Amino acid sequence: MYPATIEDYVRPATVVEALAALGRYEAGDALMLAGGQSAMQAVKTRLLRPRCIIDLQAVAELQGVSAGGDGVRIGPMTRYAALATEGSFNGAYQALNDAAARIGDRQVRNRGTIGGSLCWNYVAACLPPVALALGMEMELTGPNGSRTMSADDFIGGPLETAREDDEILVSLNLPAPAANSGSAYKKWGLVTDSLPVIGVAAMLSTDGSGACTSARVAIGGLGDGPRRSAAAESGLQGVSAGDGDGIAAALQAASDETETQSDMWADADYRKQLIRSLGAEVVASAFARAAN
Amino acid sequence: MKTTVNITINGESYEETIPNRMLLVDFIREVAVQTGTHVGCTYEGVCGACTIQLDGEAVKSCLMLAVQADGHEIKTVEGLATNGELTPLQTAFNEHHALQCGYCTPGILMNMDEFLKKNPNPTEDEIRHGLVGNLCRCTGYAHIVDAVKDAAGK
Repeated sequence: MYPATIEDYVRPATVVEALAALGRYEAGDALMLAGGQSAMQAVKTRLLRPRCIIDLQAVAELQGVSAGGDGVRIGPMTRYAALATEGSFNGAYQALNDAAARIGDRQVRNRGTIGGSLCWNYVAACLPPVALALGMEMELTGPNGSRTMSADDFIGGPLETAREDDEILVSLNLPAPAANSGSAYKKWGLVTDSLPVIGVAAMLSTDGSGACTSARVAIGGLGDGPRRSAAAESGLQGVSAGDGDGIAAALQAASDETETQSDMWADADYRKQLIRSLGAEVVASAFARAAN
Repeated sequence: MKTTVNITINGESYEETIPNRMLLVDFIREVAVQTGTHVGCTYEGVCGACTIQLDGEAVKSCLMLAVQADGHEIKTVEGLATNGELTPLQTAFNEHHALQCGYCTPGILMNMDEFLKKNPNPTEDEIRHGLVGNLCRCTGYAHIVDAVKDAAGK
């Protein structure tokens, strides 16, 4: 496994410079490199053969997390290691801590980035379902200006997103959460911290009595890409943390409506079992975080 | 096709003109001739034997191009000991027989050296979780965990 010839390497300092570099190449000929923990694998196996690498490591405006009254803004170049210990997500967006702390291994977390993962959208990645469950907004900048879209619109099938080849993902935005909101993410894989066979993310808001007023649930590890579960989301409405039967019924409906695949890691029925068992754990955790 | 880079490895600066596609691990091994950093899984990014520290953080040098390290400081296993004096972690590996064939050892040392700086008093679970990215095919993990535990706080 070794990269094919790479004609040019550039390291822009700003988004404007990165866009200019991108504009010098035909669509698909330039590869923007974030942390490179997935993209470099693709370059080494020659799944990707970029003529130019645009290394985003020095673009300061793409880095870091800032939280304020109007929500949280995450720079796409923020690394997993920083996300894992980020203290501003509180209960509402804590699924990000859960996911980032268990991606790959220490070395990968020191280098891999949230924006890289979302733009790559690997079938068994952790961040895409988390972005769906949290209602993340993606801001993209291209030669014709900026546009913003929801994670639902951004994330497509495996390795597909709505980002155009001449666009850069410049910001990940989470709105100020409703009071009493909590989120969680959990995955199961064959070895510790491995790519998920199934991963489930949930975000809940509750009213004063602890009953769920809104729920977003997303599932990763599916053959056709991460997706939200409408059945789980509607089934959790009005359910409280202590209502084990209500939670189980919502997750049963989620596993019934979700098409799962059999492969060398797990068969389809086992994936449905994982949706139910991991789902119960993340819903319980999200309720607990919403109550704090 | 080529770029001139300046990469500091164990305090020594290497200014070289290299192919853009050269992996960092090959720059370390073949250009700087610091061969303590190993290639275990033929560049697949799964074994951790090529782990080095980039600006103090443990990363896999087969998952980076050398040009990405331009202007950065790298530490490899050769840079751990000072004037031949081993670090407490290296001494603990020796005392606990934490290596058999030794092939994975440089990567584990570079990972655990940084791990212990961030978490000086880890639990056994935290140590094992920290070692996920390093494969030892002699299956010597028990002794490796003992050595890391012993080195913690020293």
